[in-house]
Amino acid sequence: MASDPQTLSDHVRFILRSVIDPEIGLNIVDLGLVYDVKADSEGHVSIVMTTTTRGCPATGYLKQASEDAANSVVGVTSTETQLTYDPPWNPSMIDEEAKKEMGIQ
Amino acid sequence: MPAVTLSRWTMSYFTVAAGFLLAAETAMAAGFGYPSVAIGAPATLIVVHMVAIGWLSLALTGALFQFVPVLIAKPLLSGNLVLPALALIAGGLIVLLFGFFALDHPLLAEHHCLAIGGALLVAGFLLAGFVLARTLWSGRPLALPARFAGAGLASLIATIFLGLVFAVTLSGSIFTGWGVALLTNAVPVHAFIGLAGWLSFTAMGVSYRLLSMFMLSPELDRKSSTFVFAAGAALLAIVVFAGSYAAIAGSFGPGTLVAGLVAGAVVLAVYGNDVLALFRRRRRKKLELNSQAAAMALILFGISAAAIAALLGAGRFDALVIAAIYLFVFGWLSGLVLSQLYKIVPFLTWLESFGPILGRMPAPRVQDLVNEARGRRWFVLYFAAVLAAAAALAFGLHYLFRAAMAAQVLGTAGILFETVRARRLHYATGKFPADLKKPRLLFCAASPSSKGD
Repeated sequence: MASDPQTLSDHVRFILRSVIDPEIGLNIVDLGLVYDVKADSEGHVSIVMTTTTRGCPATGYLKQASEDAANSVVGVTSTETQLTYDPPWNPSMIDEEAKKEMGIQ
Repeated sequence: MPAVTLSRWTMSYFTVAAGFLLAAETAMAAGFGYPSVAIGAPATLIVVHMVAIGWLSLALTGALFQFVPVLIAKPLLSGNLVLPALALIAGGLIVLLFGFFALDHPLLAEHHCLAIGGALLVAGFLLAGFVLARTLWSGRPLALPARFAGAGLASLIATIFLGLVFAVTLSGSIFTGWGVALLTNAVPVHAFIGLAGWLSFTAMGVSYRLLSMFMLSPELDRKSSTFVFAAGAALLAIVVFAGSYAAIAGSFGPGTLVAGLVAGAVVLAVYGNDVLALFRRRRRKKLELNSQAAAMALILFGISAAAIAALLGAGRFDALVIAAIYLFVFGWLSGLVLSQLYKIVPFLTWLESFGPILGRMPAPRVQDLVNEARGRRWFVLYFAAVLAAAAALAFGLHYLFRAAMAAQVLGTAGILFETVRARRLHYATGKFPADLKKPRLLFCAASPSSKGD
């Protein structure tokens, strides 16, 4: 049975915190790489995300890891991840708490 | 299947390059080459080319196979030529070194090793250059760091063609008036365009991107970095064409040299200011060891380049200039390459080992693959030894130079050992599944990013 779309997207966003950016060592949600997570009543999830650097060799892995993590959430039937560089990521997008933790200003 | 962008043979380039560095440093510590013999003696030419081609050029070429696709966000093209290029370059270098050795041994005089080695090197670098140039071409319009790499490649081609003219002339294979004139007068052009154009200019361009990536620095004002590229590339082109022409015509005036030095100093000053801005504006306040070591290399770049320019401008070509060039090669270029190997190897290793399991189980960070406290000791030893060796050269203290070289060998070996440990997941034990296959030292096992067309 499909969950409420809002709850499902919250769960996906939560599980995406298990995916870390290998270079910075922070999860992709707190890092601000996940721009949008949407779910519909059928359990289809769409993620819009970016990477810290365009052309980064980790891009494919981060995209695949996000899909794998999202698909592991109960109620998710399929996941589609879209990469975007508009707007390009910058350090001001990092979560304030995480910045303090990582010594980033 | 993720769009993997791992360069399959970059680790092989790094391994061969590291072997040449250790061999060259050990030979120098044993008293082989300058200062035990003259600066132009065959033994000196052997160690110089082991360092310039075997170590620096192979390491930089290997890094570019990985990094050019990142700069243009496109896959490497003609990647099937990468390994043959390595074989040609390494093989050609060994034949060339034998050719230098034979110059000192009359019994071996009837040989064409220099010409054959030179031709193999040209073939190898042309293959590598073709792969990189074709890849860069597919990424037009080029971002600024990629343009630096393009100008660096053009400098590489100029360096190896001048080198080939020297090699065939020295071996007596082909004897022309202009070849002899170039061999007599254009060795400084060959050295300058190789060290400043190919190795330094490429490293400068890449540093704009790497420093900004690793320190989370915002993009720079493009005017100054565009100036560094345009003025630097123009200066390099003038040195190659005007320098070669003047060498053949025998009309190289001191005024030209001073004008070139002043222009070069301006370009470097603007670059130095850009780098300072990157460090000052970084968001990541705590610098990782690779960035600290890169900062040291950049400081030595400024010091050695200023010293070389000032001494040459004053008309001196003596032990002091050689000491400054030593500092340029081992403090700046080798220091930078070692610092970046210490970062790139763990990064590639992480991608290969942990990229595929990311999102399915906990993965360590790239930094968990290294032990910075241990690495720092070797970097401190390395840079201290380089400074001591340069000082010993400046003051003509040959035994001190060899002792400093021995310490430099130890420092280099320590840095490389720590890098190999990262590759073998030594420090990440317990942070990954027990059945995870450890990566191979010589190549990346993940699907290559390149299209072998």
